[in-house]
Amino acid sequence: MFALVNLVFLSRRGAPVFLLLALSALATGASAQPKDAPGKRLEAIRSEMDRGQSLFASGNYAGAAEVFEAGYAAYPYSAFLFNAGVCYQKQNDVDRALAKFKEYVKVDPNAPDLAKVNQRIATLEAAKAAALAAAPVGEAGAGPNAGALPSAPVLPSTDDQTSMKSLVMIETEPDGAPLRIYQRLDENAHFVLGAPANPGWKEVIATHAPANLTLDVGQYHIVVEKFRDFNASEADMTVSPGHVHQLKANLSQGKFMAFLRVSSNVLGAHVWIDDNKKERSLWGDTPHGELVPGGKHDVLVESPGFEPLQSSVELEHGEQKELEVRLERVNYGVLRIDASAPVVTVHVDDQPKGVWRSGTQPLDVRFDSGAHWLTVESDGRKTFRGKVVVPRGQILPLHVKMIPKYPRGPAWTQAIIGAAFLGASIYAGAESNRLYNELKSDNQNGSLESSDERATRGKWLAVGADAGFVVAGVLGGLATYNFIKDPLPESSVSEDKLLEFDDPLKTRPVAQLAPRRAPQNAVAVEHAPRLELTPSASTTGGGLFLGGRF
Amino acid sequence: MSHFSLRLGLLGALALGASACSWSRFDDLTDNAPVVLLEKPDSMNNGFGVSLATATKDEHTELLVGGTVTTSGAALYQLGEDSAPNTKATDTNYCSGDGKPCFLSSLIAGFANAQGPDRSRPLCFAVGSGEVVKQGLVMRCQDGGEYTLDMPQAAEDLLAMAIAQNQPRDFPMVTDRSDDPLLLASLPEKRLAWFYPEKSDILSELPLPDGVEVDDPSFGSSLAVLAVEGGRVLAVGVPGKSRVLLWKTEPDANPSFLGCWSGTSGMGRALASGKVNADGNDDLVVSDETQVHVLDGSSLFQLPESNASDCDRPLVIAGSRLGSFGCGSTSPLSGCERSEFGAALAVGDLDGDGDGEVIVGAPKMTVRGKENAGALLVYDADAATETAPVDAKFMSSAESGDELGRSIVAPHVGKRDIIAAGAPGHGKAALFYCSSLLPHGAGGSRCP
Repeated sequence: MFALVNLVFLSRRGAPVFLLLALSALATGASAQPKDAPGKRLEAIRSEMDRGQSLFASGNYAGAAEVFEAGYAAYPYSAFLFNAGVCYQKQNDVDRALAKFKEYVKVDPNAPDLAKVNQRIATLEAAKAAALAAAPVGEAGAGPNAGALPSAPVLPSTDDQTSMKSLVMIETEPDGAPLRIYQRLDENAHFVLGAPANPGWKEVIATHAPANLTLDVGQYHIVVEKFRDFNASEADMTVSPGHVHQLKANLSQGKFMAFLRVSSNVLGAHVWIDDNKKERSLWGDTPHGELVPGGKHDVLVESPGFEPLQSSVELEHGEQKELEVRLERVNYGVLRIDASAPVVTVHVDDQPKGVWRSGTQPLDVRFDSGAHWLTVESDGRKTFRGKVVVPRGQILPLHVKMIPKYPRGPAWTQAIIGAAFLGASIYAGAESNRLYNELKSDNQNGSLESSDERATRGKWLAVGADAGFVVAGVLGGLATYNFIKDPLPESSVSEDKLLEFDDPLKTRPVAQLAPRRAPQNAVAVEHAPRLELTPSASTTGGGLFLGGRF
Repeated sequence: MSHFSLRLGLLGALALGASACSWSRFDDLTDNAPVVLLEKPDSMNNGFGVSLATATKDEHTELLVGGTVTTSGAALYQLGEDSAPNTKATDTNYCSGDGKPCFLSSLIAGFANAQGPDRSRPLCFAVGSGEVVKQGLVMRCQDGGEYTLDMPQAAEDLLAMAIAQNQPRDFPMVTDRSDDPLLLASLPEKRLAWFYPEKSDILSELPLPDGVEVDDPSFGSSLAVLAVEGGRVLAVGVPGKSRVLLWKTEPDANPSFLGCWSGTSGMGRALASGKVNADGNDDLVVSDETQVHVLDGSSLFQLPESNASDCDRPLVIAGSRLGSFGCGSTSPLSGCERSEFGAALAVGDLDGDGDGEVIVGAPKMTVRGKENAGALLVYDADAATETAPVDAKFMSSAESGDELGRSIVAPHVGKRDIIAAGAPGHGKAALFYCSSLLPHGAGGSRCP
């Protein structure tokens, strides 16, 4: 069973390189021997290697050495020799250790660690010589443990299970592709293909596929160089101790595939290819590039808050094309309203739009973009009314500060008392006028007395009425003043930063216009590691591509 | 703050100004009100306005207002100009007692000139009976001088007994309105009537023909003196008998009985004299319980002496009649019935046209819902066929029980007469300056 891994690298120059690797490691089988099924052979190698590694880890060095010896006998990979040598060395069996190390050097003269192994051999021989010089004549080489040193310990014993060599099997389809293996020396170093130098990386081997390599534990970068009309590829690999790794690269030919990259003025816009009804998963988020079959493709780009854009693109085989689209904002927006009051009623252009209550989510009101009259009311608070500009395709958070109404108790008291005075004055005035008219009538018919009590009463009523009018006027003025007086500010609204529409395809709103993003943030987004699954087909095979962007 | 205070002050000043204007209009009305109440003196604590008398000499008019008959005194008011009447009494010692017995009469009389024991005195009033220098009818004049007039012996005897027993007696008295009036007096208790000719303090009794039935305590309760062609017609009412007795006097001649006029019930309960028509002679006004009759003084004066005792001279009286009228009605007044229409009468030239109007008191009349407030009804006798009064007077502050119209006189002020009426129910007396008969502007500032 194979898992196809599509690793997509973006170089710093922006030029895409691809590596199609069929990775079969540990659980998958492959065999270099024609007589075995590849899977069984690889399983057998892995089994031997794992068994020896487990014995070594448990301290059974003799058993481990036996397993590695048997492994090498069945599958002559140099890693078994080295690992057996380490086991003997752990047993202070200098001769056997030297024999395995020397055989290792002999069968794998291009081993990347050849110098280290030679150094190990020299160290062991020196230790052996020192031991022989110190031992009495005739002891050396006698008996069943003739190879063992007479006095122990004399050998370095710093090896642990990480000292176990692993077997790395690299194949390409087709065979013969040139390979370069780089080991990372600096954990923070990044490999750049084509760069004149890659600091922190060391080329440990250059060979051709297929290649069976014995490698130390560590981080490696494998580069499959351009080979005939096949494209160059590369991949990272982590080598574990005492394991068998197999990599198989299906090299792509430029004439069968094309590369399409879609970018837009909105970072993170969703892109569908040949799926205008969005019945499948999205192709990617802008900017996004990927191998696509040559020919005509329908491209649908969408982002919340923007009008969807459909476009077509024609690609030749092996062609790399950049499609830049420009999305336009929709002509409506959302007001996201909350307020500093328990309950507020929201009207836009005098149309009721809802009620917001404290402790709940802000009230979203969708409206055509442009200027609108916003009215927010709340009991006991001053009504806010003002113009707001609804943005296009964005959310405008509005925080309405509802100011309590200024208390009008004194004004009402003055008004009521003033009204009472006014009413009493009107009554008194009317009564005074009535009396005056009576007296005047009596005067007309000659009956009016000079001391008529009604004249006195009418006079006092007139005085009272006029005084009452004065008091009512004063109180009315005071009431008016106190009705108008308002030291408190008006209710106001503060606008927050514009927000993008929520994106149901993502956990957070991502739509952002590219020019508005800070340059360093833009780089960060572009380099954010992402994985994606994409069905793939080519002239040489097909499968599900797991894409990664680094 | 100062600006606010200034504005408040200005507002207050404007309001006060407006207020002053609004309440001062009442003063504008009352300062020149057509009705002026006379101030009741504190000393008159026993009735006020029960009786009235007026006297005018040389454009100087006085009004005497009496209190309760026989038990009170009277107060004198100088009316002066109509624009500024003296409402405060100038002399309250009329029949005040003051250590000397004096019984105020129910009818008191004024003199332009009165003949005293030694000389003629201006502006005097016959106020009652008593003892000043001696016992008799008490006279008091403007200068404060008092004297008495002799009475018939029977009257003097009764007065002496009354004084001795402190049992007052009423001696009604009237005069005509000439410069030298004749004083007519009576003693109802004794059915006596006598008079003092002009410019004389010598009494003359009025003889009664035999057989004339006058034996009634109402004899002489109403009196009237008409100045006619240099002589006088004397009228004595006997309302209890519904009769009016008439005499004629002429200078240097004994009085002669003209006859007895018997009429409807209450005939003669009030009598008055004055120039009702334009012949220059006084006419007689007589009331009964329902109507007021005006008889031509000249016609009465021409009546021959009579010895008839049946009091039935209707034909003669009918020939003297100028007119008769009843209560009628006006809008602010109601209840002519039981109004005691005609309880008091007076004649005054209210419009100054030379002939007088009849002023009738109805003291029990209801005014504006005030029962017994009383009213004065003015009739133009020249149009005597009219039953409705040409004018109705009442007090604008009428109260129930005022009984305005219980006493009436018509003082002469300026070139016309005004009405003075008593409302003894509440001790009021008022001057009524205006009349609807007055031409526009003729009444001065008091009469709009």
